[in-house]
Amino acid sequence: MLSNAIGIIQDNWLLLLIGQYPNGPLGGVAATLLLSVLAILLAFPFSVLVALARLSHLWALRIPATALVYGVRGIPLLMIIFWVYFMFPLLFGISVPGFATMLCTLVLYEGAFLSEVVRAGITALPAGQMDAARALGHSYGSAMRFVILPQALVNMLPSILSQFVSTIQDTTLGYVINVPELTFAANQINNRLLTKPFEVFLILALTYYAICFSLTQLASWLERSIATRRAGPAMPKLVLAQ
Amino acid sequence: MIKFQAVNKFYGDYCALADINENVAKGEVVVVCGPSGSGKSTLIRTVNRLEEIQSGEVLFNGRNVHARIKSAELNRLRSQIGFVFQSFNLFPHLSALDNVILSPWRVNAVSRAEARDRAMALLDRVGLANRALSYPAQLSGGQQQRVAIARALAMEPPAMLFDEPTSALDPEMVGEVLAVMRSLAKDGMTMMCVTHEMGFARDVADRVWFMDAGRILETGTPVEFFGAPQHPRAQRFLSDLRSH
Ligand SMILES: Nc1ncnc2c1ncn2[C@@H]1O[C@H](COP(=O)(O)OP(=O)(O)OP(=O)(O)O)[C@@H](O)[C@H]1O
Ligand SMILES: [Mg+2]
Repeated sequence: MLSNAIGIIQDNWLLLLIGQYPNGPLGGVAATLLLSVLAILLAFPFSVLVALARLSHLWALRIPATALVYGVRGIPLLMIIFWVYFMFPLLFGISVPGFATMLCTLVLYEGAFLSEVVRAGITALPAGQMDAARALGHSYGSAMRFVILPQALVNMLPSILSQFVSTIQDTTLGYVINVPELTFAANQINNRLLTKPFEVFLILALTYYAICFSLTQLASWLERSIATRRAGPAMPKLVLAQ
Repeated sequence: MIKFQAVNKFYGDYCALADINENVAKGEVVVVCGPSGSGKSTLIRTVNRLEEIQSGEVLFNGRNVHARIKSAELNRLRSQIGFVFQSFNLFPHLSALDNVILSPWRVNAVSRAEARDRAMALLDRVGLANRALSYPAQLSGGQQQRVAIARALAMEPPAMLFDEPTSALDPEMVGEVLAVMRSLAKDGMTMMCVTHEMGFARDVADRVWFMDAGRILETGTPVEFFGAPQHPRAQRFLSDLRSH
């Protein structure tokens, strides 16, 4: 069985890695990672905006943002994928490739979850930080930009990385709308071989595991090094107590 | 320079400030004291509107800080009122130097190079030029508070407010912070200080305000207040303080 699996990898590693590229669309691990990275890069600024809107004093910003977050968190990802996939062409009269559909969906979905992380990161900072910035004459925006967000975002890096791991796992659902990513490639192989589903999906699972496990390790390493840095070499007890 | 007119503040039903009418003149040093929970922090925080009030006016240089004013105008007023917190509230992601540079640079649009030169001079003034590149977590409490004073001075405020600047400090660090405050007072800075450092009040203050339960019960020169307090609450407060 092990030799079967190695044989499958030897025959199909390029397909698993980059799909049918350059003769077809980019696929495999490369597409999965590209999709995940683009999704998180776009979801991040989106999530900061949503978090700021949720914390806003203006109800016209706060209410739609809150509705969006609750809405998205209450719907399974697969439903959102179907909605974007079927509704987009109906509403705008253009058909959108699977990759772009999946990207939009992931930005919306991961962004809604990330915004809660960002919001928690902002509210977790001591109130004295905002007080100090305002007392120095910073506007709300300036205080956010130079004082609050730089601290909150560094504290949030491990959570952002965890969200990235979730994003990678969520890209597998792109399979249902024929996005040529890693799961899609594995299924192509399985359809071709027909007799070795166990080996094929073992390879698939191990690949996801290897990627996600190393990222999780990176996240916990980051978390530890941030905690050490925050404590500092000469932090007086009184400050820690507050 | 700072004028409280019929100021009232409530937290729900609780009256945190009751009918405050007082002035701090230009160049004057006022020490505010009183038991815990008497409203000292609340009072001093109304001056730059970190706390809202329900009625009355707080004038700074003739401008009512609590009027319906544009936020840009309020920010400009705040930038002219230095504020030093009990818990320092330095920005932990910035070095001591960058803490001092940030606000002149980003709020007052002073060039970064000029803000840097002035920041170095201010850190030198508070005796911390050699720690300019340290991060707050690497500094002792007394050093952090001195950086916080330098940070407030960087906006070149005509008045400084201090809310118990030494009460979070280990005893051996109190002196270094008070020394900086004394030198500011000597240079003619208008100051309003919430503090229980009676030595400082006696040497530096022009007047002492005694607060209890949201009211200013007594004001007087340090000699009057410490020598012969009039109000029974003030007498009890001083005898409690001395027995510690
Ligand atoms: N956010 C708040 N909500 C409700 N009550 C508050 C709030 N902040 C302060 N208070 C109350 O207002 C009163 C005055 O508080 P303040 O912090 O001004 O006292 P203080 O004189 O500075 O005391 P301390 O010496 O302990 O700093 C206290 O009784 C406090 O419990
Ligand atoms: Mg107080």
